[in-house]
Amino acid sequence: MKLFGSCAIVALCMSAGLAQADTTEVTVWSWGSAAPALDATLNGFNAQYPDITVTVEKLGYSDVKSRVLAACAAGGTGLPDIFQFQNVEMELIAAQFPDCAADLTPLGFDADAQAAFPEFKLFALRQGDRMIGMPWDSGPSMMFYRRDFFENAGVDADDIVTWDDFAEAGAKVQDANDGVTMTNDNLNGGTEWLQMISNEQGCGFFSADGETITVNQPGCVAALDVVKTMVDADLMTAGNFGERVQNLSAGTVAALMSGAWFEGIVRTNAPEDQSGKWGVMAMPSVTEDGVRAANYGGSLLAIANNSDNKEAAFTYLNYALGTNEGQITMLREFGLVPSLVSALDDPFVNEPSEFWGGQKVWELVLSRLELIEPMNGTAFFSDADQVLQSVQTKYLNGEYDTAQAAMDDAAQQISFATGLSVAE
Amino acid sequence: MRRQSLTAYGFLAPYLLVFAAFWFWPIIYSFYLSFMSTRRLPWTFNPSMTWGRVAQDPAFYNALKNTLTILAIQVPVMLLLATLLAVMLNSKLLKARGLIRFAFFAPVVIGEAAYAAVFRLMFNTEFGVINKAIEGVGLSRVEWFSNPDAAMALIILAVTWRWVGYNAIIILSGLQSIPQDVYEAATLDRVSPRQQFFYITLPLLKPVILFCLVLSVIGSMQLFAEPYLITNVGGPGGATETLGLYLYRQAFLNLNFGYASAVAYTIAALAVTISALNLWFGRDKT
Amino acid sequence: MSGLLSSNRKRSLALHIIIVPLALLWVFPIWMMVVFATRPDSAIFSSEVLLTPGDRFWENFQLLQDDLNFTRTLFVSVLVALIYTVLSMILTSMAGWALARYKFHGRIAVVGIILGTMTLPYFVVVIPQFIMVARDFGLANTWVALIVPPLFNSLGVLFMRQAFTMMPSELFDAARVDGVSEWKIFLHIGLPLARPMLAALAIILFLASWNNYLWPLLIANDTSMMTAPVALGSLFGLLDVSWGGIMVGAVLMTAPMLVVFVFLQRFFMAGITAGAVK
Repeated sequence: MKLFGSCAIVALCMSAGLAQADTTEVTVWSWGSAAPALDATLNGFNAQYPDITVTVEKLGYSDVKSRVLAACAAGGTGLPDIFQFQNVEMELIAAQFPDCAADLTPLGFDADAQAAFPEFKLFALRQGDRMIGMPWDSGPSMMFYRRDFFENAGVDADDIVTWDDFAEAGAKVQDANDGVTMTNDNLNGGTEWLQMISNEQGCGFFSADGETITVNQPGCVAALDVVKTMVDADLMTAGNFGERVQNLSAGTVAALMSGAWFEGIVRTNAPEDQSGKWGVMAMPSVTEDGVRAANYGGSLLAIANNSDNKEAAFTYLNYALGTNEGQITMLREFGLVPSLVSALDDPFVNEPSEFWGGQKVWELVLSRLELIEPMNGTAFFSDADQVLQSVQTKYLNGEYDTAQAAMDDAAQQISFATGLSVAE
Repeated sequence: MRRQSLTAYGFLAPYLLVFAAFWFWPIIYSFYLSFMSTRRLPWTFNPSMTWGRVAQDPAFYNALKNTLTILAIQVPVMLLLATLLAVMLNSKLLKARGLIRFAFFAPVVIGEAAYAAVFRLMFNTEFGVINKAIEGVGLSRVEWFSNPDAAMALIILAVTWRWVGYNAIIILSGLQSIPQDVYEAATLDRVSPRQQFFYITLPLLKPVILFCLVLSVIGSMQLFAEPYLITNVGGPGGATETLGLYLYRQAFLNLNFGYASAVAYTIAALAVTISALNLWFGRDKT
Repeated sequence: MSGLLSSNRKRSLALHIIIVPLALLWVFPIWMMVVFATRPDSAIFSSEVLLTPGDRFWENFQLLQDDLNFTRTLFVSVLVALIYTVLSMILTSMAGWALARYKFHGRIAVVGIILGTMTLPYFVVVIPQFIMVARDFGLANTWVALIVPPLFNSLGVLFMRQAFTMMPSELFDAARVDGVSEWKIFLHIGLPLARPMLAALAIILFLASWNNYLWPLLIANDTSMMTAPVALGSLFGLLDVSWGGIMVGAVLMTAPMLVVFVFLQRFFMAGITAGAVK
């Protein structure tokens, strides 16, 4: 009996040891809202690939960014196998640390696989003939609003087409609802509305070829003016990401504009009794017939070039981002809009959402995709962003006479910071 | 002397090695970098993008203005408090001296991350105990993190809280090294305590106070952890961005090493100038 | 104010009326640290006024560990600080000894350079240090990177130089006459005599290493090699982090140093003042 017992134990240990040896471990760095989305894909993934253990580490957004940059600067030591990065900032890595991210083409992300994604997501990921990341989600900008607040004010969301309409509605909504501000923007720490409306108006911070600065073109100037109008009319207050989440939970804000991935944020953070009271509409434009679409955010996943588990990492990448199953799971659970074109035909897209008052949210969101103008981030995106932040603050405080003057100044400063010239 | 030289350098060698590698060489390399444009690979010689830019960069001037503001307010206030505190601590009438000393010195022992965390909670706009106290006496709450002036005040409060005790101890030791006979003689001459303070104590304390002043100036010029941790990396909108934070941003977030080196040297030059000015104005006029 | 006039009692009262509330005000944040660490987040972020500790320390600790392996960072901090202190004491006492007790060519120059380093801000050297250590040597996230570069600090050298200068030469001359080697003189006579100064220096060095924020932030961002202050700071920006947990981290980081301070106050003070009052 004893012999049998010890044989069993030895066998158990051996098989456990063998099982350990077969499991590859892959670590991912991802930030707040996106990390749980990846977690949601793990069940499905492990059903197909039980021998790859994926650990998703959730960090703050700026933490991931600064750690990845520092690790790349250090030659790649300290990087996890997979890391998340924003599309718009990836070119910084391509420019300064060309050896940091692995080329995905030999791992399986060849031309055919690439064709499954829209061009506007792919071009930031090309480094010569290397492909350094796989597109994850895109962020079509939407206006998320409280139906009940609008109703109280007698405002119909369908009537809002231009920013002027929005401002008018805003005044009514604030009058009819005590303690509610129409909207928030990250005025003290970002340029979110500025980016979104600029994009909508066809103006990027840099030209398409990334060689000149275009912040003082008419589209961007118009965007700055929209922000100023909102602030001056007391319709917009400052709120960083955390504060906006707090405000929507507490019911003190009526509408928030952000990338479509914000859908998951609203849905998972709003208290139970708000279900059914929210709605989504396309962002207003400057003119009656203007484009009503822009992109804000949207990430990719990249594999570290010195990772020991590149194949296993790519297997996970391919499942989570390259299959309908992976992308739709993340869409359903956390509102991450797939970049994968085929995912857009999944039946889930046409389902009405209870939280959003029975609206077919994804139909609306995805209808924006083809209207979005791609914007080149370039390696200097954060310099431009920093300059625009301070110019925006100054303009809101009345330190420039016109938005054009403000943007001209911004263009000059960015030129100085980057060595690029200002476009004519 | 020769044999002494050999022995001496023998003892000095380990330290000098580290010093050369991690201070001397970096100083030179940093100077070299300050002339290079590091925006794209490969790095090229281009001083107009570094030194040329410092002169005209509004963000640099903003950081400079913020740092100088903190310097101009925090340092004198803190030194004044520290001197008063030192005088009080020196008083023979003080009970529980050890406890009181502990109270003022403990902030130095606490690391920046820890005390930044406490201050963020204490000054939280909605739920912080400070705002609750302010509202309790009938005033309206202060937007510590979204009002630029309030955020600046918060930084100044935090830094003062942290360093008063440290400087008080130094000044105290200066006080204690003044011989008692000086005071006794003065008292015999019917010099009042207040006059004694102004005409004996303060002048004798001058070197110590100057020392604290120079240390504080250099420290303030480099202020980094407080705006980074307490006011969300120099918020709101750069209102509390100090030179230290600006440098960090340029060097390690934008990866613009060349420009950051130029900024670093500019800060160094400023710090040295201000310290030199302080020492010059405070010199004994004989 | 150090006079001895009548109505001492009136003075005493005035003194204490000012200084006691001030001291209480100064301790208040430290007190609140303990209060926050022992209360649940729901109480911290409520309209209640909390001024006393609660009983949730353990739960908050668990929340902290969930967010980040904080005990590991404490371990890293302790080890780095200990090794740094020992190494630094060796380097600086040897260097201080040389500068104090020998006349040699270039002595003035060396002292001058070291003094000069104190006026240049750290920022001028940190960028090349980073490039050197992270990129050229590839040593990011290593123990060496955390411990060795900060050893250039010059305060210790000047401190020990002062300590050794004050010693009478007769002690050493006697030993030299007996044929004892310089190294043995340093080791068996000089160092033991300097014990109080060494103790003060050790505490200052340990504290400096323990609280060091910028360098570890730059060079050690892997979760297994982060030091405690950097780890704590990295939690501030997270959306749904537990602030009670963060405060537990703050307490854990601070309590040991406070305890050491209470017992070794005298050495602390000596360390700080020796630099100032020459």
